Amino acid sequence: MGPNPGDASSGTTPVLETSVNPSVTDSERSTIADGIDYPLDPRYVPLRQIHSAIATVVLAGVSLVATLSFWIASGRLWPGLVLVPMWLVLVGVSAWQLRRWPAIAYRHVSYRVDGLGIEIRRGVYWREVTSVPRSRVQHTDVSQGPLERRFGLGTLVIHTAGTANSEVTLSGLEHAVAGRIRDHLLPADRNDAV
Amino acid sequence: MPSEHRLHPASILFALAGSLRAFALPALVLMVSSLRSSPAAGAGSGGPRWPGRWMNSWLPDSLDLENWQVWLLVFLIPATIAAVVRYLTFRVGYEGGELVIRSGLFFRNERHVPYGRIQNLDATRTLMHRLFGVAEVRIETGGGKEPEARISVLHMTAFEEMRRRVFESRAAAGVPDAPAPALATPDEDVVSRDAAQTLLHLPVRELLLLGVLENRGFLVIAAIYGAFWEMGLQSLFWEGLTSGLYAPGLLRGAGRQLANGQLPPLWQIGVLAGGLVGLVLLVRLLSMVWAVGRLYDFRLERLGNDLRTEYGLFTRVTATIPLGRIQSLTLRDSPLRRLLGRTSVSVETAGGASRPEDGPKRPRERLAPLIRASAVPALVAAVMPQADPATLDWQGVHPRAFRRAVKPHLLLTGLPSIGLLLFLGWRVLPLVVAVISLNVLVARQQVRHLAWAANDDVVALRGGWLWRSVTIAPVAKIQTVTAIESPFDRRAAMAGVRVDTAGGSELSHRVHIPYLSREIASALASRLSGQAARTAFRW
Repeated sequence: MGPNPGDASSGTTPVLETSVNPSVTDSERSTIADGIDYPLDPRYVPLRQIHSAIATVVLAGVSLVATLSFWIASGRLWPGLVLVPMWLVLVGVSAWQLRRWPAIAYRHVSYRVDGLGIEIRRGVYWREVTSVPRSRVQHTDVSQGPLERRFGLGTLVIHTAGTANSEVTLSGLEHAVAGRIRDHLLPADRNDAV
Repeated sequence: MPSEHRLHPASILFALAGSLRAFALPALVLMVSSLRSSPAAGAGSGGPRWPGRWMNSWLPDSLDLENWQVWLLVFLIPATIAAVVRYLTFRVGYEGGELVIRSGLFFRNERHVPYGRIQNLDATRTLMHRLFGVAEVRIETGGGKEPEARISVLHMTAFEEMRRRVFESRAAAGVPDAPAPALATPDEDVVSRDAAQTLLHLPVRELLLLGVLENRGFLVIAAIYGAFWEMGLQSLFWEGLTSGLYAPGLLRGAGRQLANGQLPPLWQIGVLAGGLVGLVLLVRLLSMVWAVGRLYDFRLERLGNDLRTEYGLFTRVTATIPLGRIQSLTLRDSPLRRLLGRTSVSVETAGGASRPEDGPKRPRERLAPLIRASAVPALVAAVMPQADPATLDWQGVHPRAFRRAVKPHLLLTGLPSIGLLLFLGWRVLPLVVAVISLNVLVARQQVRHLAWAANDDVVALRGGWLWRSVTIAPVAKIQTVTAIESPFDRRAAMAGVRVDTAGGSELSHRVHIPYLSREIASALASRLSGQAARTAFRW
């Protein structure tokens, strides 16, 4: 467990590693089910950084109010001399982490669509590869929030009949690609007795 | 052949009884709390008693909401109207291959449930239901956490007809419920339908044994205590236990003496030990009573492609599970059960996971609460023919799994041990050593008993040292497959595989295989997802 997530990927056999193929861009893909690992859309990083910025502001604001009210309630000077620098350091460190996390997480997510289904790899420290067979897809959603719309991204949600994985979510896809994956996972001529 | 059934007229009574019961507990709490608080409140010239007084200030004087009759009416008039309307408008019909349920007066609702989608068809009959010759019917399909339809209450003949129609027309339509992917031929079905094959019957003797083994007596006591607690009488309970019930102040006195570092007199120890033994015996006795009452005349039958369980002394429950709807099967063992050569078998179905009257969560459908170990292979063969636990090729986990598994145990016991040693000195060293070695032993045995198996039809996990479980899931019922690698796994070049199936709760024993070598995990995950992708899922 390397402290730096960048190092963590340089382990031995890359079984649960993301082995993405960035040379082909989404728009060049003739078919969606090509069995190649793709990274998410690069615009997902700035989008997540905006989320991070919002989270940072909220975190800083709430903790500042808490710190100041504690200081004022104590009625003395010295708690502030300790608390305010502590607050500055904590907010600084978390802001830095939140700022760089989207890019790190982005490097550790990839997906692969083939004739049998979809396989999603993710996780920086706790890695997982989830495969959803096409025949197990109950229904799918493609959603787009206001920020995602601005960036042209979409979120694909795959519903299965499972328990723990009854909802498999993949955010950060180009909206059109998300729609194509959805169409591939749910062909019109599906004819089973579910 | 369109045909319709109405609810039994008694449904109005049952609906009213239901809302009365929902109303009874809060009312009781209110009454008790007002009784208990009235002396104090009376001293303060009758303080504002909420909500009665407060409501009264908005109402004309003639209506006094502190009268409980008024409250009763406020609650019961709408409930009565709703019950009557429901009785008058509710219709169950059979059209083609569908069950059609119509209800509603202003907002009409018509629900079509194709026979092929029905997972379970259950009937519950309490003593009152049996007196009226009716049943509460629950229809479960795969979707959602709740039953698709609750029909309360239906005449028994109507229920029999529903069951006959649903399962017969399904067999005739050749809905593939057989566990094998091949279509079930109708003739085969009709032939086997005539002879219900009894797979398991539990006589009273076995039920008494089950009561001893399962120890549900604490459930009964917990329920009683819960009732006390809701009424705010729990202090009374403890008072009675610690001072009132037997030999006043005995427990308290003995505890005080122990705290002072003295041994209480021998007779006190004797009385306390006797009380403890008596309590344990009482709990077991209650458990036996519970087992007989709940599972009396337990019967598991196979009718064609359906399993049917029937049990209960007062409340008779009938559940029908189509064989092909079984999502996974679990065998459970405990040391006592093994000693007596017994085990238990349960299955998971995709139907509604929670049943309000059985507690918040009932994860498993109990196929055999208690069964002789020698009879298990036959039962498994009847329920899931492709999965015989004996013929599965069980494989152990990674050779270094113990080293990986023992670390959390050492961390969890080691850190508190260091603290104990620092604060209490070397006196506690034997205790610390004993606890740590016990933990190491547990880790060792758990890893040794972990095993998994996968063939073309099923994937299975075996685990546990003293309390053992075996869970088998058919490949055709796999929903998703996840290979998972934690940072600790990565250091040891290991990974785990999690197989997700429909039904049940997150707490039930599932096929989550830990401590595999990375290559095996990756290969197993892709093999299973490939196999799953090639089979069509039919719930």
